Amino acid sequence: MSEKDSSENPRGSSQPPDEPGDAPSSENSTKEQKRAVSEPVAITRKRPEAKSSSEAAEQEEQKTPEKHDLDSEAKSPSGWGYWGNWGKSLISTASATVATVGHGITSAIEKAESSLGVPSPVELSIRSQEETEEGADSVQSADAKENESSSPITGALGFLSSISTAVQSTGKTVLTGGLDALEFIGKKTMDVIAEGDPGFKKTKGIINRNSTLSQVLREAKEQEELRVSSDFNAETEQKAHYGLLFDEYQGLAHLEALELLSKESDAKTKAILSSLSGEELAEVKAELEPLKEAFSLEEFDDEEELEKGDEEFTQEVTTLFDELHISARPLKLTKARIDAYKWMADVEEDGKKKKEEQAEPEDAEVQGKTSVEDIHEFAIRSLAELTACSMEMFHKAATLILHGESPVPAAARGRALSQMTILLCKELTQLSKRITTLLTITGASEKSDVLNPLITGVFLEASNSASYIQDAFQLLLPVLEISHIQSRT
Amino acid sequence: MEAIWLYQFRLIVIGDSTVGKSCLIRRFTEGRFAQVSDPTVGVDFFSRLVEIEPGKRIKLQIWDTAGQERFRSITRAYYRNSVGGLLLFDITNRRSFQNVHEWLEEAKAHVQPYQIVFVLVGHKCDLDTQRQVTRHEAEKLASSFGMRYIETSARDAINVEKAFTELTRDIYELVRKGEINIQEGWEGVKSGFVPNVVHSSEEVIKSDRRCLC
Repeated sequence: MSEKDSSENPRGSSQPPDEPGDAPSSENSTKEQKRAVSEPVAITRKRPEAKSSSEAAEQEEQKTPEKHDLDSEAKSPSGWGYWGNWGKSLISTASATVATVGHGITSAIEKAESSLGVPSPVELSIRSQEETEEGADSVQSADAKENESSSPITGALGFLSSISTAVQSTGKTVLTGGLDALEFIGKKTMDVIAEGDPGFKKTKGIINRNSTLSQVLREAKEQEELRVSSDFNAETEQKAHYGLLFDEYQGLAHLEALELLSKESDAKTKAILSSLSGEELAEVKAELEPLKEAFSLEEFDDEEELEKGDEEFTQEVTTLFDELHISARPLKLTKARIDAYKWMADVEEDGKKKKEEQAEPEDAEVQGKTSVEDIHEFAIRSLAELTACSMEMFHKAATLILHGESPVPAAARGRALSQMTILLCKELTQLSKRITTLLTITGASEKSDVLNPLITGVFLEASNSASYIQDAFQLLLPVLEISHIQSRT
Repeated sequence: MEAIWLYQFRLIVIGDSTVGKSCLIRRFTEGRFAQVSDPTVGVDFFSRLVEIEPGKRIKLQIWDTAGQERFRSITRAYYRNSVGGLLLFDITNRRSFQNVHEWLEEAKAHVQPYQIVFVLVGHKCDLDTQRQVTRHEAEKLASSFGMRYIETSARDAINVEKAFTELTRDIYELVRKGEINIQEGWEGVKSGFVPNVVHSSEEVIKSDRRCLC
């Protein structure tokens, strides 16, 4: 087997993509797309990663000449470019899952991705061209790998199919093991991260870099919109787009507003600190230290928790909100949560009734029962809504901390917010577990290649959501810092 | 599919506390009237699609600002990225009418270097018996600023659609004529998406929907 068959060794992407060999590649991708469309897949969205501006520009340059080729892929999520992303998203999510355990390692993820060697779609396209030129040898080996698939594979497609097969089988492993496998990959990723960045525990989220989280998310959303609109007439219309739903619930706007407040507060704090000197400066810095500790999320344990009842969750959120001493109530958040659980309970109830009524479960499937796709769509919607509500809550908290009336020690507020973050992340885990269980039960008679991508999708978005919430939480630190400094005088 | 629109406009809604900004927006975006509502904290966000001509849809992102003085510094930060605005006063509250001038000055000071298209809205027109501001004087003020004037009621759903749609049409005209342009780093106007065809921002203006099927 040639080295190129392994998807773990991406080539340098320095090769210009617009060389003459481009045309066959676009043809191939169309064929591949046709073949791939027949495979039912759900959209598993990659958690957007912030790029440094130069890097982004570089990538942009590379992509532009290929635009027409990529357009044809964009119409179908099943194009191989999508598979490339899939692998990537798996790994970034694995690490995001780790992040929910308590370390803000998002910015280390990129490093992990590059060292794990997941090829980008662009790289894949270049390699596919090369593969075409290479001829029969590699194709045969790819064919050998491909024995699961019954469709005839033309020479040029061999390589591509082998990639998707590899990814699919990885996918199956991951899904069979569910969270365990994700955790395993997470640990592997952690090792790589630890190797590459010994101080990774101190690395905070995306926010410290050039582009802000909301920018990254907005770009991702815009790409998703693009994809949705080009999907418009496609048969495989997918309803659940996390990014679009997150925006629909105004999550992006609240996040952007929170960033604005955070940035302003940070600038003010820096200006004040630079005007201080000597003892006073040391004093203020010492006072800010416990505040920073509250933001390290260290007490974030990974204990198995029992699912909370509606009242318990509402009670906990309300109590924590009270500790903030701000005149707003997290009603939207608690309502969104209650609605989500009610919907699931109804579906479960329906499922039971149907089973009792119908002796043959296969018949029940045909009769207007809630489909696995419905549950998947609902899951993505609920995750997007809960995350958007969390953004709103953090944004309102920041607003009232800066412009509120009753001054409370900033450190106490920091601790309450940190507890809130943990509570929300755990809630997302619980919710995704519950939904995926529901998916598994409802889809018991479905083929695994229908069900598995849906389940993966839910887990991916749940851990993405948890990462967004943690990144948003970090934005509150500068807000509390300036509020503390201002309360001193 | 909901996601398809020609442009996205960001609008800001300003005016004194309790003139009914949030109620007006909720009527427009949610189609209902909330009897009681808490004062807005900082800023809130809403969105809705508006069809200005058959097949031509604009997505409005509406920024609902707090009227309370203590949030003023937050509100100021949002003028810059808005292409249009509704400046509200309460026709039963003379004071809120007198403050219109001040609101406009503040907007002008913070919108630089971009421009913002305003409409003056006399709200709560269902309470005509308690009117403290005549239509005539409000119209006069509006025309002195070069704005439209419109009287609305969120409770009775009077002119709510009209207020937003006319403002949207005015902005669309300016965009079409090239007097307002999409700019990098400015959120006021964004180009949207048309099915099957990926446009660059300039192309959107010239070409209508092309169907490839």
